[in-house]
Amino acid sequence: MATLRSEALILRSVDFGESDRILHLLLPDQGRLTVIAKGARRSLKRFSGTLDLFNHLSVQVEGRRRNSMARLEQARLIRGFAPLRVDPMRFALGCYLLELLDRLAPEGGVRADMQQLFSFALDALQWVAARPPDLTQRTILELRALDALGLRPELRDCVRCKREVVGEGEQVFHVAEGGPLCGTCAVSLEGLLSVHVGTLRALQQGLSLDLGVIDRLSMGPSALAEARRLVTRLQHFHVGMTLQSERFLDRLFRESGISPSPAETLSSDRFPVA
Amino acid sequence: MRSSPPIDRLVESLKRLPGIGEKTATRLAFYLVGAADNQVQALANAIGRLKQEIVLCERCFDLTDHSPCQICLDPKREPGLLCVVEEPADLAAIEKSASFRGHYHVLGGAFAPIDGVGPDELRVRELLERVRGGEIQEVVLATNPNTEGDATAHYLADQLRESGVKLSRIAYGMPLGGDLEYADHVTVGLCIENRRGL
Repeated sequence: MATLRSEALILRSVDFGESDRILHLLLPDQGRLTVIAKGARRSLKRFSGTLDLFNHLSVQVEGRRRNSMARLEQARLIRGFAPLRVDPMRFALGCYLLELLDRLAPEGGVRADMQQLFSFALDALQWVAARPPDLTQRTILELRALDALGLRPELRDCVRCKREVVGEGEQVFHVAEGGPLCGTCAVSLEGLLSVHVGTLRALQQGLSLDLGVIDRLSMGPSALAEARRLVTRLQHFHVGMTLQSERFLDRLFRESGISPSPAETLSSDRFPVA
Repeated sequence: MRSSPPIDRLVESLKRLPGIGEKTATRLAFYLVGAADNQVQALANAIGRLKQEIVLCERCFDLTDHSPCQICLDPKREPGLLCVVEEPADLAAIEKSASFRGHYHVLGGAFAPIDGVGPDELRVRELLERVRGGEIQEVVLATNPNTEGDATAHYLADQLRESGVKLSRIAYGMPLGGDLEYADHVTVGLCIENRRGL
């Protein structure tokens, strides 16, 4: 890789050695890229105030040479999402989204997909910066993050026979296959997640609405609990682990009194994950 | 080129220290080979005793050889003024400035949710207990002015607000000797926002 000039979003920043910093960047054309910023912690001029988490930058990166990492040569701040610094809950949700992107965003990839992912990341941070989040919006943002990462679940048709899942009541969802199963296809399968068809419709709406108006979407307590369970299971399935920032985010939501306690969440888990 | 296993071992150990690469480690190792026995012994003893004698102060959680530390026991310091910092090195930097005459509380870091660091991994509970003790009148939140430090400071402010103590945050601004043209627009914006009358 020769010299690269691009926009970038800082997903992660790790101190390295005495004065360097390793950064995980999300780039609109390339997906995730790890770079080293030499002397970043010591220099007052070169990277002054630019290498903070959430920062949207214009960067110049020198390509990798043999075993060395790509090197950040210049960075100019485009946008800083300041409200994420001063509200612990927005900070926590922002970190959670960054960690999800950092874990799942590919290095390289189809250019159009990467641009869509980059746009989603900026829009999502702007959304979080603009208003205090609630549990419905957190759930929809997580689902949309999976969608932007190319992991959109099916929410309408049976993932096996492709027929629309119809009916008013409880349906079953196969987490590993990423969608609901109709009554015929679900026969003799065990360990499926139970979910009301209304919850699936609400999530579908959450995916199709413009991001700027998702706060108009509301769900009742039981639908929200189901939606959270479903999105959390999907996310854990794809990431393969619980995100480190999830515990912190859950704690802040609980302290604000807007999240079900872990005990309530567990008590509604009637079905083990598929 | 290495000469013998004892020198290799020392070079390997020295290389792990911050700011020391292969060349510096090799130079130091050869210097020590040629140094007087008592000088080398004194260095080895000082390093060996470091881990045995340094403890955390039971009040402020700074590194000290006696707990409570000298700062906590100093009667000339303002008992009602408490400065919250992330690390002992930050405390040392403020002490070096000789501009603060209160007491300290070392949190042990700042929130880093992606690394699993939240309130339970820092000394937040100890801070809240200390402030609820009643002697503290003002808490200066001196966590670093980066995203994690700001978020930590605002979380602590939310937690401390009900105790009724005065809360303040260290100021943002241009470093002395800095150039406005090189500063990012967020820093310049904060400088203008937080300007002071003359």
